[in-house]
Amino acid sequence: MESIELAAPGGDLSIWALFWQAGWVVKLVMIGLLGASIWSWAIIIDKWLSFARMRVALNRFEQVFWSGQSLEELYRSLSDRKTSGMGSIFVAAMREWKKSFEKGARSPLGLQTRIDKAMDLALTREMERLESKLGFLASVGASAPFIGLFGTVVGIMTSFQAIAGSKSTNLAVVAPGIAEALLATAIGLLAAIPAVIAYNKLTADAGNIASRMEGFADEFSAILSRQIDEKVAPKARAVEEYA
Amino acid sequence: MRAGLATSVTLHAVLIGFGIVSLQAPRAFEVADVEAFPVDIVPVGDISQVQQGEKEAPVATRPTPKPTQRQDPVENAQKVGEADTDLKPPPTPEAKPRPVEQASEPPPSPKPQPKPVEKPVETPQEAKAEEVPVPTPEREPEPQPRQEVKPNPAPEPLVAENAEGESVKLPPAAPVPQARPQPPKPQIAKAPERKEAEKPAAEQKQASRATKDDQVLDQVAALLNKEKASGGGAKRSTEQAALGASQATSGDKLSQSEMDALRAQIERCWNVPAGALDAENLRVSVKFKLDPSGAVEGRPEIIEGGGSGVARAAAESARRAVLQCAPYNLPSEKYSAWADVIVHFDPTDMF
Repeated sequence: MESIELAAPGGDLSIWALFWQAGWVVKLVMIGLLGASIWSWAIIIDKWLSFARMRVALNRFEQVFWSGQSLEELYRSLSDRKTSGMGSIFVAAMREWKKSFEKGARSPLGLQTRIDKAMDLALTREMERLESKLGFLASVGASAPFIGLFGTVVGIMTSFQAIAGSKSTNLAVVAPGIAEALLATAIGLLAAIPAVIAYNKLTADAGNIASRMEGFADEFSAILSRQIDEKVAPKARAVEEYA
Repeated sequence: MRAGLATSVTLHAVLIGFGIVSLQAPRAFEVADVEAFPVDIVPVGDISQVQQGEKEAPVATRPTPKPTQRQDPVENAQKVGEADTDLKPPPTPEAKPRPVEQASEPPPSPKPQPKPVEKPVETPQEAKAEEVPVPTPEREPEPQPRQEVKPNPAPEPLVAENAEGESVKLPPAAPVPQARPQPPKPQIAKAPERKEAEKPAAEQKQASRATKDDQVLDQVAALLNKEKASGGGAKRSTEQAALGASQATSGDKLSQSEMDALRAQIERCWNVPAGALDAENLRVSVKFKLDPSGAVEGRPEIIEGGGSGVARAAAESARRAVLQCAPYNLPSEKYSAWADVIVHFDPTDMF
């Protein structure tokens, strides 16, 4: 165990000095928490931007989709581009539709299921991409206070050991060690609070976007189902006539 | 993601930088420096009631001061010393004569201004040294100058200047007024000390004649006074010194044994009335005054008990007891403690 020097009473008590006087365990905890805070803020900013972008994309796509434009044309314009959100769901569904029709669909029921499956897959992928790294925010929000508390406990423990060594119970001797240890909890809370708030906000936003995309997928599925019926029904009638 | 990370790092850097710059050590609470100091309660008896002895001697059971060289006993001497009679001032070493010699030397030297500081200090010593051993011859002329000095302060400086020019003897007193520009103050301070020196000045008649008289007086005093100018007592001691003060201070309180002695003395004379033997609650308190010789002054006063019948008989018997044993043998130095005595008589204690 390395010896711990207590801050001289009335010495430098600025944040930097407190950090510098701390033991290596506490320092490690503080640095780790600072890293977690930086990373969680990076995620928050990234997600916030991507969600905003996604919302814009959704709006624009919906506008285009309901503008009465031919789906074939829309598919052609989107298929060679990198798409996201509703666009990718639309592209996935249209690709499946095209493949089925190019090779000649045998059953309209099978086609419907396949298209639904493809859209589900695209939706899941989109949501996965949307919600990736939000888990980190959740863990930071849940565990950063505990990590900070751990740093504080270790810091107070060592400072009490030092106080026992110095054989003085003067508050001026006791206080700096405790203040330095409490800095770890402060940093932990500093990292955890924005993470928790952002996590709640971002998951709610992601849920919003997901429900919008699901709604679109359902609608598009309904449209395609109608189309399938319209395309397959004459065939079926013809078959009946032949029989 | 890269944009987010970059933004986050910048944000944290800014925040930490701001924290380091602005979140300096918080201002310390301004608390008045109140230091607790321990208080011990020490019985004052240790200080006020000390036996006679030496301050640096080992503790001994018997109070014995430092052994003296002379062994001839002196009656009623309280202070230990080598003197013939008990003297009030403490024994002083041979330091006294020296300043007198120094005082007489400076006058001829022509330095009036630097000296005044020394002279006022030395002249009183001279006066004291001469005063103590010879009380009678000097006391007579003293009262006159004192009365006369106070009403007219102005003539003093004038005479002082004259004296400086006139004689060699006078100068010790002369520079004093020069050093003090305020006339009334030095008078109040100096009047008792200057006695001999100022006498002529105050009288304002013939300064030189007065001083001559004084010189004669001094010579007479010197002849009369064979005793050393030092004080000291006349009590002799032969044994090794014990821890104590130069003088025994017994304190005001009667010691337990002295109280017991008083109680026993009164009890011996107390005839409890026969009827009171079985009567409980026949307590009687008697208050009486004693004079320094130990005799009862006036009539003992019954302050408690003695209501009627047996009780009155008991009270009377108590009063009789006090009067019968009359001259009480109590330490005279504690007279203030036993000038007024209240004695409680309780028949149940007797049997």
